[in-house]
Amino acid sequence: MVEVRSFALASLTLMLVLGAVTLALAPLTGHYRGSYLALFLGGVIVFVSAVYLPIIYLRKASDVRRIAVPAMQSLWVSTSMGLGYVVTALAPYFQIKLWVAYTLFIIGWIILLYGLYALLKISKETGVPLAV
Amino acid sequence: MGESNRNVRDVYGDYATQVIPREELKSTLNIFMVYMGVLAVIAAIFAGSGLAQMYDPSTTILVALIGNAMLAVFGGLIAYIGGHTRANTYMILRYPLGRIGAMIGSLIVSAIPLIIWFAVETWLFGITVNVIYPGHPLTSIAAASLWGGLLMMLTAYYGFKAIAILSYITVPFWYALIAIGFFAAVDLHGGLDALWSARPETIAPLGLGITYVFGLYASGCVITSDVSRYGVKKWSGSVAWGIHVLVFMTLLLFAGASMTLLTNSPNVIVAIAQIGLGIGALLLAILGQWTTNDNNLWSAALAWINITGKLNKRQWVVIIGIIGTLIAALWGGVYGMSLEPFINFGVFLGYFIPPVGAVLIADFYILSKFVLKREYKFGPGTRYSMVNIPGIVAVFAGGLAGWLASTYGTPLPTGIGTADAIIVSLLLYLALTIGFHKAGVKYEVGVWVEKPTGF
Repeated sequence: MVEVRSFALASLTLMLVLGAVTLALAPLTGHYRGSYLALFLGGVIVFVSAVYLPIIYLRKASDVRRIAVPAMQSLWVSTSMGLGYVVTALAPYFQIKLWVAYTLFIIGWIILLYGLYALLKISKETGVPLAV
Repeated sequence: MGESNRNVRDVYGDYATQVIPREELKSTLNIFMVYMGVLAVIAAIFAGSGLAQMYDPSTTILVALIGNAMLAVFGGLIAYIGGHTRANTYMILRYPLGRIGAMIGSLIVSAIPLIIWFAVETWLFGITVNVIYPGHPLTSIAAASLWGGLLMMLTAYYGFKAIAILSYITVPFWYALIAIGFFAAVDLHGGLDALWSARPETIAPLGLGITYVFGLYASGCVITSDVSRYGVKKWSGSVAWGIHVLVFMTLLLFAGASMTLLTNSPNVIVAIAQIGLGIGALLLAILGQWTTNDNNLWSAALAWINITGKLNKRQWVVIIGIIGTLIAALWGGVYGMSLEPFINFGVFLGYFIPPVGAVLIADFYILSKFVLKREYKFGPGTRYSMVNIPGIVAVFAGGLAGWLASTYGTPLPTGIGTADAIIVSLLLYLALTIGFHKAGVKYEVGVWVEKPTGF
């Protein structure tokens, strides 16, 4: 039971860090469109992780359902924004410098794949359906 | 209320004919997210495109806000009934329409419109594929609609988990994508000044747009109980519904209208492609349509089970899928990329579906509470009338009144077809039922005893 809580906290922290990295890359994109994209997607990841982390932290470890639901909601949004980086980082409209675009693209994939893994693991271990 | 089925087996799945047990209830935020997922379809943006052909941006916002405020109130009232009774739409309609009447109501509200929605979304899928890969016989709108519809039907039939998960994580970014598309369109086409000065050749009357907006989601209002019945609080569904429709539906309509006004493209998919957001974004749009359409098929199948009590969900998925796919392919072949059928569909919905919700509101909030002093109860052995005649009469009279008001300008209370349809249905239902009740005239025909399966 403690494992679910610590796994959820670790997963959200990872999302927070990766989101913060993409935020930090915003000024380096080389074009205001790319900057706004990173500020927007990264901002959503950082915001949602920062809001949900203390909620999960303050819940009792034994209350797995009340931990799983907010954790999955947060991971859902972060993972989705990761998908956003995957499909938009290299799009011509944003004119992002190639090395930054590829960095965002790779971080997007990490967020997407880890997010999927974490969502499925929490769902499987707690019995909370994905559609939370 | 709602505990009577604790020991009854859920034969059809998803508590199709039973009330929701307490342990299955979900938070208000969860209910809100479900509503947001349902709203995340390209059709909502296309609806904005429809408004752009009628209004300038500021009038679009006004029309969208008025229409959506009406949807918030109307849907919110119905959502509360679901939260209170924990029963779905087809069940609560047994009181204002009777058991057979509820089947007729289900036909009007879900069973037939959802087939049309499936066809519309399949048609939009064909358009999207045609935009991404033009010039091949298999990617013509008609052909893509045909194979796309059949693929959607197959995935719904087999229930591929991978697609369900992808759809699940697509929803939040889908909203981000629309925001990005909006700002990109503004960025590339002259900024906000250009947006505020853009306008169609002629401005349509306000009433037409409000009816259009209301009609777009009127069907959704009437079936809000299907989701709100899961709400942990009685009001969970009402609050979630109100916020999502008033804030987010308005934003989606405005974003769709803006993209169309700025890019001069009546097709939002084409607009996104022109902006240069990449093929990945378009594929996401496809995925959103694909999975939403799976849901349309499943919901339609649920409605048909409630109407017929025959065949299973998968068999209904195949039947409805084939019908919807053929409609979509013909639509694509006959109309090409015109939005006209979609707009007509939105306006048409505004006539006969809201009256079903109106009689439900009248029965639950007024007749049952103050006149008959009864509670809505469900469970094996519960007795319902076969047909509640005033309910059926009020639904059709209200729909007809709304159609007359909009089509021929018949002077009715508001001049807005959908609102008139609701007012006429609500007042007529109350007048007939209270009048008959006071006069001692029996207005409910026959008796239907609920079976152990809940049917």
